[in-house]
Amino acid sequence: MRSQNWRLAATIILVILAFVGFWNTLRLWTLTGEDRRKMETRKPGSVNELERKAMRLGLDLQGGIHVVLRVMMEKIEPSARVDAVDRAIQVIRNRVDFTGVAEPIIQKQGDDRIIIDLPGYTDAERAEDIIGQTAQLEFKLLESYDNAQMIIARIDSVVTQLRKAGSDAGAAGNLSEGEPEAGAVTPLDTAQKTDDILADLMGTTGDSTTADELLLESEENPFSQYLDPYLANDKSNTPWPGYMVSAKDKKMLEAMLALPQVQRLIPSEVQFAWSTRSEIRSSSEVCFLYVLKSKVQFLGKYLERITLGRGQFQGHTVDFKLSGQSSAAFARLTGANIDKPLAIVIDNKVESAPMISSKIRKDGQITMGSGATLQDAQNLAIVLKAGALPAPVEIIAKNVVGPTLGSDSINKGFKASIVGLILVLAYIAFYYRISGLIADVGLLFNLFFLLSIMATLGATLTMPGIAGVILTMGMSVDSNILIFERIREELRLGKTVRASIDAGYQRAWAAILDSHVTTLITAGALFVLGSGTIKGFAVSLFWGVLISLFTAYVITKLIFDFRKQAKTISI
Amino acid sequence: MFSLIGVPKIDFIGKRKISFLFSLFLIVVGLYAFIMILLGGGNMGIDFVGGVMVQGHFEKPATIDALRAAITSEFTDAQVNEVKDFSFPYAFIVKTKRPETESQGAQEIKRISALIKERFPDNKFVEDSESIIGPAVGEQLRKDTRLAVILALLGILTYIALRFDFRSGVAATVAMIHDVLAVIGIFYVLGLEFDLLVLSALMTLAGYSLTDKVVVYDRIRENLRKFRTKADFVPCVNRSINETLSRTINTSTTVVVVVVMVFLGGQTLRNFALALILGVIIGTYSSIFVASPIVIEWESRFPKRFK
Repeated sequence: MRSQNWRLAATIILVILAFVGFWNTLRLWTLTGEDRRKMETRKPGSVNELERKAMRLGLDLQGGIHVVLRVMMEKIEPSARVDAVDRAIQVIRNRVDFTGVAEPIIQKQGDDRIIIDLPGYTDAERAEDIIGQTAQLEFKLLESYDNAQMIIARIDSVVTQLRKAGSDAGAAGNLSEGEPEAGAVTPLDTAQKTDDILADLMGTTGDSTTADELLLESEENPFSQYLDPYLANDKSNTPWPGYMVSAKDKKMLEAMLALPQVQRLIPSEVQFAWSTRSEIRSSSEVCFLYVLKSKVQFLGKYLERITLGRGQFQGHTVDFKLSGQSSAAFARLTGANIDKPLAIVIDNKVESAPMISSKIRKDGQITMGSGATLQDAQNLAIVLKAGALPAPVEIIAKNVVGPTLGSDSINKGFKASIVGLILVLAYIAFYYRISGLIADVGLLFNLFFLLSIMATLGATLTMPGIAGVILTMGMSVDSNILIFERIREELRLGKTVRASIDAGYQRAWAAILDSHVTTLITAGALFVLGSGTIKGFAVSLFWGVLISLFTAYVITKLIFDFRKQAKTISI
Repeated sequence: MFSLIGVPKIDFIGKRKISFLFSLFLIVVGLYAFIMILLGGGNMGIDFVGGVMVQGHFEKPATIDALRAAITSEFTDAQVNEVKDFSFPYAFIVKTKRPETESQGAQEIKRISALIKERFPDNKFVEDSESIIGPAVGEQLRKDTRLAVILALLGILTYIALRFDFRSGVAATVAMIHDVLAVIGIFYVLGLEFDLLVLSALMTLAGYSLTDKVVVYDRIRENLRKFRTKADFVPCVNRSINETLSRTINTSTTVVVVVVMVFLGGQTLRNFALALILGVIIGTYSSIFVASPIVIEWESRFPKRFK
């Protein structure tokens, strides 16, 4: 009887603990839409708080974004690499906090990777914009118009020369017209090579004819004909090297600029830079090309108290304040360059190049490009507030789950679990009668304990996790089947009920232990493997198996101990 | 006492020639599939080889053939599948695999969306999920997976070695490998996708399969204590199989029943569930027809009374 007492005590204590652990989750799961509204009006944020306390749902169930970033160490100085990932994590955490995503997970993986989970957030584009920007903000002056024009004229002439060589190659190709692959056997090796280089520069996804066009078209100004000067001072009408370019020509101009022969022409103190985004002007998509002085005049990290503002006319602005030395430096810079444009360069792209109208000492304003939306301005404000990343990052894996798919999965997972549970309960009750019903009680306890433990430990419930729960329901029945089959055999041999139950439990123990241990080992290995969703499976499998061992040998055993007194037993 | 099976007296051992032949076939196919996969073949999931996945639904009727034609016009290797029983009709999954660079995936996903927009101008395609896995992440996962599989195998084999004698340990392991290979073979032949979930199903299966065999061996060991003469060995094994038959089938049935529910519970877990269902059925077969006959063959060639 002593063993029954401790079994009873353990059961009661565990049931109470499980209830406590599962309480918040149970409350949340049973909330109706009406209840939610009532709770929110009574105390705003209380539903969120409950959600935080309840079992966490994986991204596959509640929707959300999972991103794996690689910090591009090769792009920064070796001395800066030591803590680059940790600093990047800090910056990204700040940025994500500004977006208001609840419970983001941001952690380091390996040497140069960062995993970011944004549960419930499904605006993938914005998330990428906020997380992925290096946000290196620099202020640069524009090159003088005359200098810029001179460089552009030189580019024109070099491209024309290259084209001439190219058209020779083209003529050679024309000789053997009719054979589609004739170009591959052109006798002019050098021209062929240039063609290859150009084709490479255009990117493999690019239109393959563009490279040919680039070489074969015989306009006089192959480069400058696409540039439409648009930036000029309203008062003095001085032109500045800011050019409007039709968006469809951008790729070609980029390719021309990337030619090594062209690169050699551009002095190191000058740089060509594209606008951050394209916009629609008189119903065609355009973007802008600027010729800047490479020297960084002022760095974005000195900006303080960044807020969203509203521009003079319609555009959006991001306002900032300056203080102390940086304020003086900015005043010097702006004071010396009144009526000249100042390019606001973010990650080597020009956001805008507004004219400096007066000396700016304390209150500055970043004018957003005219194509920018309010959200672009918000995103910029966020990344500036959180600071620049210590190194550029690239997204190497991403998973976005929309809310519909998530709720669909929850519904299906829930239905599958309920139907699976009912089928198993019915089968066992049918096959083993009263004893089967006892096993069913054990199974229900099992499920309850499992969910409670997962909620208490802060485990995340994923779709594979639900599969793990269902699977352990099936497997945990195995313990009972082993025991019951054994009891039946003993009864068949003519033993008493008491002796049969004792023997059944005793002899089944070895097999039950074996099956549990092997499953626990598998679950452990899967947990080490450690990808988000699989971890969910491993966790529910692990605890499910452990708990089933407990229910079989403590809870159902408890009931069977009471049945030992009976003359016959339904099994 | 209700019993579907009771303790039958079927001569399982006598039929071992047929079952060995059948199992040999399963193993050969499975080994072939396994080697092909190691060599980089097989329909691997994007989590292992990298790639992109877009899942979404059309607002108006659309056929899979039209979508497939649109996608394969630019992505010849793309896979297009219909998602049945989703909250919305006309739901599809598009996948491309094995990108060469990290940035290729992002470009491809943009291009796929644009392509669908171009080809279905007045039928909106609402994206429900998208996923990009770069080659580096796939590579990392393959490495982690190898580690996990080795870890699990070592763990389980160590346990088996500690708990059981050499012969039954080896025989159970052989039967377990037979089960896992058979599932791999069937998946390969049917062109089903191997992803991380299928792999975890296989690992779970390995554990399940081993214990299924161990239950029978336990019984053989127990029964052998009662029958000590050599001539009794084969009948004793046969009797043990029969005695545990009820348990073997009952447990398999419940596991299959619940896993069928998982199978019906949505697209994401379908292959995972299928691997488990196939595995449990094959495992049950091998517990009865393969695992114990191995012990008998071994004993008849190198007699050393099985204990």
